[in-house]
Amino acid sequence: MNQHARTISLTVNGHAVTAAVAPRTHLADFLREQRLLTGTHLGCEHGVCGACTILIDGEPARSCITYAVACDGRSVTTVEGLDADPLAAELRDAFSAEHGLQCGFCTPGMLVAARDVVQRLPDADDAAVRVAMSGNLCRCTGYVGIVNAIRRVLDARKPRPE
Amino acid sequence: MSTTTGVGAPIRRKEDDRLLRGRGRFVGDVALPGMRELAFVRSPVAHARIRAIEVPPDHAGAVFTGADLAGDGVRAIRAASGLPGFKVSEQPALAIDKVRFVGEPVAVCVADTRAEAEDIAAAVFVDYDELPVNVDMLEAVKPGAPRVHEHWPDNVILETRTGGDLSAVAATAAVRVSRTIRTARQCMVPLEGKGVVAHRDRQAEQLVLTTSTQIPHIVRAGLAECLGLDQGAIRIVPPDIGGGFGWKGLLQPEEVVAAWLALRLDTPVRWTEDRREHLVAAANAREHHYEITAYADARGRLLGIEADALVDAGAYSVYPFTACLEAAQIGSILPGPYDFPHYRCRTVSVATNKPPLVPFRGVARTGVCFAMEQMIDAVAAAVGREALEVRLENLVRPEQMPFDNVTGKHFDSGDYPESVRRAAAAIGVEGVRERRARGEPDGRLVGVGFATYCEQAAHGTAVYHGWGIPMVPGHEQAHARITPDGGLELRVGVQSHGQSMETTFAQVAHEVLGIPVDRIKLVHGDTALTPYSTGTWGSRSMVMAGGAVATACRRLAERVRRIGGHLLQVPAGDTTLADGCVRAGAASVTVREVAHTWYRAPQRLPADVDPGGLEVTAGYKPGSDHGTFSYATHAAVVAVDPELGSVEILDYVVVEDAGTMVNPMVVDGQIYGGVAQGIGTALYERMPYDAEGQPLASTFMDYLIPGFTEVPHVRILHMHTPSPYTEFGVKGIGEGGAIAPPAALCNAINDALAPRGATVTDAPMTPEVILEALRRAGGPA
Amino acid sequence: MKAADFDYAAPRTLDDALALLARDDGAARPVAGSQSLGPMLNLRLAQPGLLVDITRIPELRDIAVDGDALVVGACVTHARLEDGGYPDPTGGVPARVAAGIAYRAVRNRGTIGGSLAHADPAADWVAALTALGADVIVAGPHGRRSVAMADFIVGAFETDLRPGEIIAAVRIPALSERARWGYVKVCRKTGEFSHATGAVLADPGRGVARCVVAAASGRPVVLDDPRLLADAAARDAAVAARLGGDPAAIRPHLVALRRAVAQVTP
Repeated sequence: MNQHARTISLTVNGHAVTAAVAPRTHLADFLREQRLLTGTHLGCEHGVCGACTILIDGEPARSCITYAVACDGRSVTTVEGLDADPLAAELRDAFSAEHGLQCGFCTPGMLVAARDVVQRLPDADDAAVRVAMSGNLCRCTGYVGIVNAIRRVLDARKPRPE
Repeated sequence: MSTTTGVGAPIRRKEDDRLLRGRGRFVGDVALPGMRELAFVRSPVAHARIRAIEVPPDHAGAVFTGADLAGDGVRAIRAASGLPGFKVSEQPALAIDKVRFVGEPVAVCVADTRAEAEDIAAAVFVDYDELPVNVDMLEAVKPGAPRVHEHWPDNVILETRTGGDLSAVAATAAVRVSRTIRTARQCMVPLEGKGVVAHRDRQAEQLVLTTSTQIPHIVRAGLAECLGLDQGAIRIVPPDIGGGFGWKGLLQPEEVVAAWLALRLDTPVRWTEDRREHLVAAANAREHHYEITAYADARGRLLGIEADALVDAGAYSVYPFTACLEAAQIGSILPGPYDFPHYRCRTVSVATNKPPLVPFRGVARTGVCFAMEQMIDAVAAAVGREALEVRLENLVRPEQMPFDNVTGKHFDSGDYPESVRRAAAAIGVEGVRERRARGEPDGRLVGVGFATYCEQAAHGTAVYHGWGIPMVPGHEQAHARITPDGGLELRVGVQSHGQSMETTFAQVAHEVLGIPVDRIKLVHGDTALTPYSTGTWGSRSMVMAGGAVATACRRLAERVRRIGGHLLQVPAGDTTLADGCVRAGAASVTVREVAHTWYRAPQRLPADVDPGGLEVTAGYKPGSDHGTFSYATHAAVVAVDPELGSVEILDYVVVEDAGTMVNPMVVDGQIYGGVAQGIGTALYERMPYDAEGQPLASTFMDYLIPGFTEVPHVRILHMHTPSPYTEFGVKGIGEGGAIAPPAALCNAINDALAPRGATVTDAPMTPEVILEALRRAGGPA
Repeated sequence: MKAADFDYAAPRTLDDALALLARDDGAARPVAGSQSLGPMLNLRLAQPGLLVDITRIPELRDIAVDGDALVVGACVTHARLEDGGYPDPTGGVPARVAAGIAYRAVRNRGTIGGSLAHADPAADWVAALTALGADVIVAGPHGRRSVAMADFIVGAFETDLRPGEIIAAVRIPALSERARWGYVKVCRKTGEFSHATGAVLADPGRGVARCVVAAASGRPVVLDDPRLLADAAARDAAVAARLGGDPAAIRPHLVALRRAVAQVTP
C-alpha cells in the first residue's frame, strides 16, 4: 500500500464505508477500483467532460479532480445510488423516451447533472437548460435528446393550473 | 410497417436501462484477478533516432521495449494497399530505432495500479537523437524534405490519378473558379478512450482480448499476424463501447503490446487510453488540402472539375484501412451528387511526423463535401445567381436514377433537388434575405448556406477492392436461433458502439418472425460466438448485418411454418406467420409451441423436417455491390460577429433521405450526433502543431469539442426513397450527419461575410480565421 | 493521467495549516476545492510533496459583512456565492460573476481563494475582484497582511503570496446605490476560460470609474480614469499601450472592454 495512505470514513450510496486510500487516488478511481462502482466514468480526468460527475453531500462534483482523501466524513452518491431515487427514475424514463443516450458512456454524469438542474432550475427554458448542462460533454447525441428529456421532466413537474 | 415494434417503429432502446443505471460494462470496468495496469512511455519528439532506453534498476522487469517484442518474434503492424505504387510502412507496436510522431509508444510499464505504472514511465529515460521534422504535407512532398521512412525515396505514400484532360473545357468554359481549401487535423474524441484487457484463458487455451473495438474479427486477424498465432488461438470480446467514430476501427499498437504482455507475463493486463493520450497521440483525422478548379457555363452549369488533393496521412499505415483509403476515396467521390461531364483528380497521400490518419465518421466525404460545396457557391457568385439555384441546376435529377456519375458511382435512387427545395423552404431563405437586408441591431452579419451530399454506405466488394484496401467485405452473415422457450437469439459479427443494434436488429427480426422485441437477444462482436464480419464502419451494419438478420429469420420462418403446419395438419404453404403464431384459418400454434416441439418433443415433428432445426446462419449481400446512396441537404443560418469573428448558429435544418428507417428515433439520433461532430469540424476542432511537430492541445481546455450551447436544436425532415437493392429498402446513414456541416456552415459564413467581400475556405472557421479573412478584405468592423 | 504521489493533511485550524506549510521545504501546497490544482496534479504539471487541505478550517468558510465591505473566506465556493442568501453590500456582483465560472459541478467545489491563488489570467475572480477594488487578506507565519488585488496578481499564474502564506479572505468594498457593473468575457464555449475579459465598475457615489482588461498574457490592466468611460478612442489607446504587441491579439480585449463599458453606460 501507498506510503502516504490514509484511512477515511465516508458514506457511499447510503452505506458507511471505511477504507485506506492513497492521497493521490481521485474519488472516481476510489469508487471504481476500490468500491467497484463502475457506473462513474472517466472521460478526461481534468474536470471538463463531466462523465465522472457524482454527488458529494447532495451536490454535483467532479470525482476526477476531487481526491478521495478529501471526502472523509462526506456522503457520496453515484449513479448506482440513484437507482431508487424518484427524480432519477423520471429522468431515466425521459432519457429513454427521447433517445438521450447512445453509447451511454457520458450518461451517468449527465443524469447526475440533469437531476441537479431539474431541482435547482425548475423554470428553466431550453436555453437555460443548455447553459446549465454545459459542463457535461456528449459525443453521440448532439444533445437534442438530452435537452428534450430534461424538458419533459421539467414540464411534468410543473404544477398544473387548476 | 407491419407492427408497432417492427421495421419503422420508433421504439425505445433495449440498451437503455443498463446504461442509465450505470450497469454497462465498459472495458475500464473489467477487472480480473491479478490484473496489472499498463502505462506507455511515449515519444516526446516528432522524429528522432532512439539512441538508448534506460530503465532505472528499481524498475527492471517492469519495463518492456520494442526489442523485447522483437525478441519474442512479434512482427510490426503492416497494412498494405493493393493499389500499385503504394509504399508500405512497418509500425512496430513499440518503436524500434526510430520514433516518427509525438506520442508514439516507445516502452510499456507494468504495475499494480495505473498511477504506479505512470510513475515508472516517468522514470524511464530515453535518449533521442532528434531529426528534422515533416509537419506540413505541402513541405513534406517537396524534394529534399526529411524522409519519414528513410528507405523510401520520398514521403509520397501513394499518388492516384482519376479522369482525363480538361484543357478543352478550360479553353472554352465561360466561368473558371479556383480555390485552395483545407481541413484541419482533428481528434475523434469518443467520450470513452480506447482500452484493452488481455488475458490467457487457460481452459480455452486462448489469448482473450476484451477490447473496445468496432472491428473485433479484424483485430483478431491483425493480432494473429503480429503475434504469429493461429486466429483460433485468439478471442476478441468487445464490451460495451463508449463511442468509436472510427478511432476504434483499427488494430492498435497498444492492443498488440497488451496481448503480448498477457502471454509473456501470464497475467491479465489492462490499458485504458486517457484523454491526454488520445489528444496527443491520436490526432489523426480529416487533414486534407485541395487545389480545386471548377469550370461552368454562364448559367453556372458545371462543365468540369479539376483537383489536386493532398491528404496528410501521418507516419504509418493503419491496419486494416491503410494510409491511402482517404485519398483513394477523394478521387472517386469528389464529384459528389453532381452531374457534370469532365473530371480530373490527382490525390497524394503524404507521410508526415504526425499520428497515423484514421478514417473518422464520414471519412473523406466531409472534406470532399467541404471542397465541392464551396465550389458550387463560388460558381454561383461568379455567374451572379443564388447558390441554391446553381445547386439545383447541377444536382443529379430523379428521372436520371439509377445514375452512374462521372467516376462510375452508381446512384440507386432519390430526389436530390427536392431535398434542396425542402431545406430552402424549411430554413426560410426569403426570411433570411429580408433579415439580412434589415441588418442586425448588434452589428452581426447574418447569412444562410447549403450543402448537399450523397453518402455512399455499406460499400460492397468491388468498391473496397477498387480502393485497394486489404480487407474487402463480401457477404455479411447472421446467425439466428429460436430458443426452446420461443425467444430468439441473434448473432452478428458487427459491433455496436452506440448505434442501438440490440434494438434495431431485434426490430428487423421481429418484422420477419413476429417474436416480441423484448424476447430477442443480440450477441455481437465476440469472435468466439459470432459469424466473421469486417465490423462496424462505413454505415454498413444495418444494411449488411441487418440484411443478414432478415435473411436468416426468413429461413427460420420457413422452418417454423413447416413444423407449425405439421402441428396444424396443413401444408406449410397454407400457413402464415405473424405475431408469434403460425396460423391456418382459425387454427394456430405459437412459435413457442413450435420451439418446444423441435427441442423437447421431436416425436411430433414431421418425418422430413429440416435437420437444421431452429437455427440458421445466413449470408447476405445487397442487390447492388456499389453500396447504398443516402443523401441530404443541410441548411444553416449563422450570425457572424465581425468584431470577434465568432459564429452563432441561429438555425440548422437537415433534409435527409435514409430510405426505409428501421427505427426513426435512432436515425434521428445518428443525424443529431453527426451534425454535432460536423459542427466541431466546422468551427472548433483542430490539433495545432508547432514547427517541431509538437501537438499544442492536450486537454479539453485547449481542444474544444462542441457542448450543449454550441450545438443548435437541429431540425430534421425526412424523405423516403427506399433503396431498390436492400432488405426493406434501408440505406446506411450513420455517418451522414457529420459530412455536411463544415460545408453548410462555410457557405453560410461566406454568405454573411459577402457584404464585406471576405471569404473563408479553411476549417475550422475559428475567430482567427474569420478575422483574418475580414482583414484581408479590408479590415474587420 | 494519474497524479504523482503526494502526502496529505487536513488541519482544522489556520495555525496548524500555516505550521504545516512552514515546516516543509517548499514542497507543500495548500489546496481548497482542487478544481484548478486537481487537473494540474492529474497531468503531473504540479507535483507537490504535501497537500495541505484548508477546507476544514471553519474561519476560511465564512461570508460576513465587515464595516463597508463584504468579506469572503478563501474556502467559500463559487456556488455558495452564486446562490446568494448572504448579506451583500456589493449589489449581487459576486453572485453574477460566480454564476459564470466554469460549470456548476466545478463551482460546487472550487473556491474564491483557490482561484486567486492559482492566478490564471483568464480566471473570473482575477478580473472581477480587480475591477471591484478588492483586497486580499493573506495569512502567513508572520501574521496577516492585506494586499490590493491590483498588486496581488503579479503576472500569469504569479501572485504576491510568499512561501508559507495562504489566502485567508477577500474583502470586497461595498458599492453605492448608483454603482453599475459591466462584465464581458469572450469565450468560444460556455464555461470555457475567457480569451479576453472586460470588467467595468462605475460607482460615482464613491468616485470610482475603473476599467479592467484581463485574460491577456499577464496581470490585468487597470485603468482608473473616469474620462475613459466616455472616450472609446482614448480607452483603446490606453489598453493598447498597456498590452502592447500584435493589434490582432489586442483586438478581442478592446471589444470585450467596449462591450463591458456599454453595460454601464445608461
